[in-house]
Amino acid sequence: MTGERDRVGSAIILAGGKSSRMGRPKAMLSFGEEPLVKLVIRGLATLFPDIVVVAAPGQELPELPVTLVRDEVAYQGPVGGLCYGLRECRSAAAFVTSCDVPFLSLPLVSHLAARLPGHDVVVPHWEGRLQPLHAVYRRSVLPLLERQLERGELRPVFLFDKVRTLKLEEDEIRALDPDGWSFFNMNTPDDYECALARWRAATDGAARPAAGRCEVELFGVARLRARTSRVSVELPESATLAHVWSALARKLPVLVGPVLTEAADGLTAGHVCNLNGRDFVRDGGRRVAPGDRVLLMSSDAGG
Amino acid sequence: MTVHGFHGRLLHVDLDSGRHQWREIGADRLRAFVGGIGLGTSLLYDFAPPGVEPLAPENPLVFASAPLAGTGLTTTAKYAVVTKSPLTGFIADSLSSSFFALALKAVGVDALVVTGRAPEPLCLFVGDGGVELRDARHLWGKSAADTENAVRAELEGAAVRVAAVGPAGENLVRFATISNEGRHAGRGGVGAVMGSKNLKAIALCGGKQVAVADPEGVAAAAASLRRRSLGTHTAKYREVGTVANLAVFDRLGALPARNFQQPTFDAADELSGESLTETSFSRRNGCASCTIRCERLFRASSGGEQRMEYETLFALGPLCGLEDREAVLEAARLCDAYGLDSISTGGTLAWAMECAERGLLPEAGGLRFGAAEAVLDAIPAIAERRGVGDLLAEGSRRAALALGRGSLDWAMQVKGLELPGYEPRSLKTMALGLAVSPRGACHNRSGAYEADFSGKVDRLDSAPPRGALVAASEDFGAALDSLIVCKFLRNCFQDFYAEAADLLAKVTGWDYSAAELRLAAERIHTLKRCFNEREGWRPEDDGLPPRVLTESLAAGVAQGTRLTRDELREMLRDYYQARGWREDGRVSEAKRKALGLPAKQAVSKLHPREATAPEIVIPAKAGIQAG
Repeated sequence: MTGERDRVGSAIILAGGKSSRMGRPKAMLSFGEEPLVKLVIRGLATLFPDIVVVAAPGQELPELPVTLVRDEVAYQGPVGGLCYGLRECRSAAAFVTSCDVPFLSLPLVSHLAARLPGHDVVVPHWEGRLQPLHAVYRRSVLPLLERQLERGELRPVFLFDKVRTLKLEEDEIRALDPDGWSFFNMNTPDDYECALARWRAATDGAARPAAGRCEVELFGVARLRARTSRVSVELPESATLAHVWSALARKLPVLVGPVLTEAADGLTAGHVCNLNGRDFVRDGGRRVAPGDRVLLMSSDAGG
Repeated sequence: MTVHGFHGRLLHVDLDSGRHQWREIGADRLRAFVGGIGLGTSLLYDFAPPGVEPLAPENPLVFASAPLAGTGLTTTAKYAVVTKSPLTGFIADSLSSSFFALALKAVGVDALVVTGRAPEPLCLFVGDGGVELRDARHLWGKSAADTENAVRAELEGAAVRVAAVGPAGENLVRFATISNEGRHAGRGGVGAVMGSKNLKAIALCGGKQVAVADPEGVAAAAASLRRRSLGTHTAKYREVGTVANLAVFDRLGALPARNFQQPTFDAADELSGESLTETSFSRRNGCASCTIRCERLFRASSGGEQRMEYETLFALGPLCGLEDREAVLEAARLCDAYGLDSISTGGTLAWAMECAERGLLPEAGGLRFGAAEAVLDAIPAIAERRGVGDLLAEGSRRAALALGRGSLDWAMQVKGLELPGYEPRSLKTMALGLAVSPRGACHNRSGAYEADFSGKVDRLDSAPPRGALVAASEDFGAALDSLIVCKFLRNCFQDFYAEAADLLAKVTGWDYSAAELRLAAERIHTLKRCFNEREGWRPEDDGLPPRVLTESLAAGVAQGTRLTRDELREMLRDYYQARGWREDGRVSEAKRKALGLPAKQAVSKLHPREATAPEIVIPAKAGIQAG
C-alpha cells in the first residue's frame, strides 16, 4: 500500500482553455452521446475518488459530479489552472490533465501515480517534449506555483528544476501506451474528426452483442486497487475467460498492469481465477457460461 | 578449514553449570545440513538424549543461523529455533526473523545451543567481549516486548538484540513462543522449553562479519532477487498481507470456523483483510533486509495498533466464532503480550468452547462460540495457568486426554499441534501435508496447499500423485528454511534449486549443485522423521483428527465433501512410496544410508557434556548421483 504521504487521490482537469482554433469549447465536443469532459471524468473516476474541474469564469459546462472551481482570472494558462486545482484537491497529490484528451491511457496514469514516492512531480517525456498537462504534482509545490503566477511565469516547466521532478522516459511510457495516444489533444476541427473516427472504431470493437453476464468477485490486490469487490460483465456468445479479462480491463483499467497483463489477455504472475469456487484457471481459452462466478485472487495462499 | 558464509562454530551454554563452550561445527555438517532448520535439526538430533523430556534441563534449545543470513539478500534475516516440543513430543522447528537473526550471525556463531536449567531466572548475553549470565529475576513476569526494551536499556546498546519469553513461556504453557521485535518463533512451544530453563531472554551484540566467497556474484544475485521480489508475484504480501487469505478461503469453503464445524464464516467479509485494510489500516512493517515487508498493523478502537496475520485472524476469529474485529485485534494483542502461539490458542479455545456447549467443561466460564469477552478473559488465564487456563495451557490434545469423555474427537490437532487455517477436507493435498508433517499440523515447514491452489489437481479429490506433491513441497520447504529464504519469495525463482544452489556456491565457495541441494533438502526432512522415530513415533501419529475423517463439510461450495479414512490411507501409502520409506512410514536403513543419516538403533554418542564436538559423518558428496 502506498502511504497517505504518497497517495495520489485526486485528478485535476483543466477545462478553461480558449479553444480559439477549434471554434467551440473543447470540453463540450461530443463523443457518442456525451461531452468529452464527461468521458474524461468517467475514466479518471475509476482511479481517483476526488476530481476537480477548473473552468473559466462563466464557462458553460454540463452538470458534473465533481468539485468545480472557476479561474479567478481567466486564461492565465496552465499554471493558473494548476494553482486553482491544487488548492481545491483533497489529497497529497493530483494527476493533472487538460480536458481535450479522448484517449487517456488509465494504466499509464496509474503508473505515473505509482512513481510518485521520492518525487514532487512525475512528468512524461514523450518524443522530446515534456507533457506538463499529463503529469502528477504534489500539493506541496503549490506555493512555488503561486510565486510563478505572481511573476508571470505561466509555463509549468519552470517548476521542474526547483523540485524533485521525475521525467518518465519513452521506454517506460511505451510499455503502457505504445503509440502515445495519451498525449493526443485536439486543437482544430480536423483533430476532432480524426479523434472521433478512432474513438468509434475502438468502442465498436468493444461492443459485441452480449449473450449474458457473469459476476467477477475481486479479492486482495484486485479489490483494493479497483475499490470494488464485485463487477458484472457482459459475455458474448461462446465466451471464454479471455473475454472476461478484456471486459474487466475496460471496466476497471486500474487492474491493467498489477493484475491483468498490459494487453488484458491474461493474468499477471501471482494471480489466478477460480470458476464457481471450484476450478483454478489461468487459461484464457477456458469457457465461461452466463451466470458463472469468477473469483479473481492471488495464486499464493501462504499465510 | 575456512568456509565462507559460516563461522564454523557453535556456542554451547549449559545453564546447570553456568559454563559455556565454543565448539567447532565441521564443514561436512554445514554442507550436509546447510543451516537454519537443517543445521538445527542435525544439532538437536545429536545434543538431545534419546527420549528426553521436553521440559527437562537436558532438552537442548538450538538457535541456528544460516549461510544467507547477513548477506543482505532480501528476506534472509532469519533464524531457526529447534528443540523437542512439549506440545507434541516430537521435533519443534520454528523460524523467526529480523535484527535478532542478524545479531545471532554477528556474534560469531552458526548456532547457539542451550541446555540445563538455571536456579534463578537469567538473561544470557553474548557480546564481542564474551558470554555473560545476567540476573533476570526483575524481568520475570514481563511481556517479551517489555523484556526486550528493559534488557536493551540495561545493556545500553542500540545494537543489542533480544529474544525473550513472555509470561506464557515462564509458566510452561505448551504453546508459548519466543519473540523478538514483535515476531515470534511461534509453533510447538519453543517458549516453554526456554522458560523451563529459567532463561528469560537472550541478548546478542556482536560485530563479527562473515565473508562471502564471491562478493560481486552475491551482490548481483541480491540485486536480481530484490527486483523480482517487487513484482506481481509478491503483490499480495506487499499490498494486503497474509490477511488476504480470509475472504478467499471463505468463498472456497476452506476457512475453518467454529472448531472446524463449518468451512465458511458469516462474518468473513467484515473480518477480511480487504475490509481491515480499507477501514483500519495503520501501517506496513517488515523484517530487516526484506523488500516485501508483508507485516500489516491495524488500528484498534482502543487507540493502539496491532499486527495481524491470516493465521491469527482465522484462529481467534472464525475458529472461535468471533465476529467482532475489535475483539479479534484485542485477542491477538493479548497473545503477543503473553507470548502465546495464536493458532494453538485459538484451536485450544475452540476445543473448550465445543466442550462447554456439550456441557462437558462447566468450569470453562462463559466460553462459547462467539463469546468475545470470555476469550479475552481466557487468554491471560492460559498464560498464567489460572483456573481452567491451567488445563488449556496443555494444548487441545493433552487437555482432551485429561478431560476424556470423547473430547479427543473434536481436538483439532495432529501430533498435538493445532491445525492452521486450511480446511483439510476441501484442500486434500494439504490434508496429506498436515497428516505427515514432522512437527504436527503445520502450514509452514511445507506448503502442500500450493498444489490445491495451482489448478493442477482437483482440490476436492485425493487421487495421486498427492504423495509426490507433498514430498516435493516438504523438500522445497526444507531448502528454503535452511538457507534461509522467506517462503513469500518462493515464486520469484524460475528454477529454485539451480538458483539457490548457485547462490549458496557464491556465498560459501563450495561447488554446490542443484542436485546436492535437493539431496540436502531430502536429508534434512528425513532427519526430522528419524528424530521423531527415535522419540517414539508410531504409524498412527501420521493422521488427521476424527472430525475431518468422519464429518462431511456442512456448507459452502464444497458442501458434502468428505475425506474418508480410506482416502487418507491411500494418500499416506502414496506418500511413503514417493519418499522411498517403508510402507508403515518408517525410514528404511537403506534410505538412511543413502542420505548419510545415522542408523536407526544408533544412540548418539554425542551427548553435549562430552568434550568432543558432535559430528555426523557425511560421506563426501553422499549420494549426489542418486539425487
